[in-house]
Amino acid sequence: MGRIFVLIEHRKGAIRDITWEMLIKGRELALRSGGELTALLLGYQIRNLAEKLVQRADEVLVVEDEKLSNFNGEIYQRVLSKLISEYKPALTLIGHTSFGMELAGQLELPITTDCIDLCLENGALKAVRQMYTGKVNAEISFIGAPSYIVTVRPDVFPAEGQQTGRGEIKYLSLPIEEIKYKKFIEYIEPAVGEVDITRADILVSVGQGIGDKKNISMIAELSELMGGVLACSRPIVDKKWLPKERQVGLSGKTVKPKLYLAIGISGAFQHISQIKGGHIIAINKDPRAPIFGVADYGIVEDLFKIVPVLTSKLKEIKAG
Amino acid sequence: MDGEQSLTEKYELFGCIQCGRCSAGCPISLNSALNIRKLIREVTVHQVLEPIYEQGELWDCTTCSICSLRCPRGLKPHEVLISIRSILAEEGNVPATVRDALEETFKHGNPYGQIRSKRFEWATDLKIKNFSQGDRAEILYFVGCAPSYDPRLQEVSRALVKTFTQAEVNFGILGNEENCCGNEIRRMGEEGLFEMLRADNIKLFHNHEIRHIVTTSSHCYNTFKNEYKDDSFKAEHYTIFVAELIQKGKLSFSKEIKKVVTYQDPCFLGKQNGVYEEPRFILRSIPGITFVDFERCRERSLCCEGGGGRMWIDASDSGQRLGEVRIREAIALGAEIIATACPFCLLNLEDAVTTIGLADKIQVRDIIELVAEAI
Repeated sequence: MGRIFVLIEHRKGAIRDITWEMLIKGRELALRSGGELTALLLGYQIRNLAEKLVQRADEVLVVEDEKLSNFNGEIYQRVLSKLISEYKPALTLIGHTSFGMELAGQLELPITTDCIDLCLENGALKAVRQMYTGKVNAEISFIGAPSYIVTVRPDVFPAEGQQTGRGEIKYLSLPIEEIKYKKFIEYIEPAVGEVDITRADILVSVGQGIGDKKNISMIAELSELMGGVLACSRPIVDKKWLPKERQVGLSGKTVKPKLYLAIGISGAFQHISQIKGGHIIAINKDPRAPIFGVADYGIVEDLFKIVPVLTSKLKEIKAG
Repeated sequence: MDGEQSLTEKYELFGCIQCGRCSAGCPISLNSALNIRKLIREVTVHQVLEPIYEQGELWDCTTCSICSLRCPRGLKPHEVLISIRSILAEEGNVPATVRDALEETFKHGNPYGQIRSKRFEWATDLKIKNFSQGDRAEILYFVGCAPSYDPRLQEVSRALVKTFTQAEVNFGILGNEENCCGNEIRRMGEEGLFEMLRADNIKLFHNHEIRHIVTTSSHCYNTFKNEYKDDSFKAEHYTIFVAELIQKGKLSFSKEIKKVVTYQDPCFLGKQNGVYEEPRFILRSIPGITFVDFERCRERSLCCEGGGGRMWIDASDSGQRLGEVRIREAIALGAEIIATACPFCLLNLEDAVTTIGLADKIQVRDIIELVAEAI
């Protein structure tokens, strides 16, 4: 296999994780096949990013232009098509992200999408992708084309690896035409302070038992020490002690943490039915609280006695 | 546009005189931007309905039906709203929590995503006839999803079983074969899933030769009675059935409950089915109870906000929950117990009691729990 292209995905000056993941996989394929790993960096005022990338790739091709300031599938397609026809890579890796999905199909090359693995079999490339909502893994072989596109599912390959590049940055000057159809408008940011409790591994969740708004800070501190995210039951939101986005339950969010620490939560069905999977540990002074019916471990005690002990223990551990 | 034509035609919306009786009676208007009068107007005059579909407050409606009850032209505004939701459901444009509830119902036969094989677990120690095990009985006690799985509501189901047993009712349940009735599913807009559940349930009732169904929930009762359109069986809410047991002398009380009790009319029992007397009759029959009615009672009763799929909807409304308003009204009446006859009313009112921290002043009980306590 000759040259392998990895299209660098970056946004607002930061390289996205999928980039590092593709570089790791790309490096593995390049080593096996004796090919060369090339990172393609398209953007504007991105020279600092190129410096980071050379440590992972054999070569970084940089196209810098103001028109590339923000991702635009139409311009990217034109630039990428030119680079592919000029450098003739055997393989181009693009992230299977909203960015990559918009772009990859437009390149008019043989493509396989959303791959979870790539390997070489007798020198030929093979891709693995899932079918039937993950029930079957299909192996895809490619037939006689000089260049393929593969989009790679994020979070499948590790992002960390050896720094294996030999460090060469090439700045290309490509004439970029004006485009007609697509225009970057704005980034819509999630509201300040918005958190996603559905993706947290550790949730520290607080209920009525906390008694007063001012006591929430003590649970927030515990949560932070545990490396968790603060969540709550509906009454806490009703009282406006915490924002709606932190509510677990039927009218809130369904969560799948690895650990759910329920503090002062009685465990109404509407709440507990939306905790899917993971271990539940409950602290409640009422031994009859329904939360104990679903908890893996339970502490029947006043939370105001337990939480400070936990907090100080965690601080001790952290202090080493 | 076809959709627009059919809504206006189907619900005869040109008959609307924009008098505003619907929106004036709407309980949700206290908290939400939803204006049902305006919505009806928009549906009739707009060429394109898409902007209407974008209104998040469409999901605030509890389908309590007061708007339809108050309409002087006999129109059904709440059904128009359900139809709009079904257009949205068809497009897949529903809140994530609704989507999950619908999917869980499709997969597991209940909107909570609980395992079907555990549906009957609450009753394993109760020695009840089970149709799914080949038993036969005169009456099917249809438990319902929430009263099967929710530990708090299981107490209500147990109280019903105790009452039936005491009155020597020949009854059985469907065990793990029981399925969601679909009442809430239809109101969340999933007409197709509702029709599927209805067909499955009717087939199940026919297979077990069921002629008489008694439900825990006013929601199940409503859909069996009004939306299943099958006259091979009679559906009753337990309040109707139990009131008759008392009247016929098959159920008598041996204990007193010396409490002041008021009653929250569930919308699906009262407003939608006119069952106002039976629950009050039962409460008045229990020795010791001093019954006081809310000022807003019967068809004017304030909705608990639990219907219309609202148990699964992250509503856009803000401000005080109606359940809290209701609890404060009950306390002002001097009530020590607020009784109801609907699982969702029970949960919402009980939530409200704990949220406002009045658990030592007032209790929320299902009528049947009081009955079971007094027999």
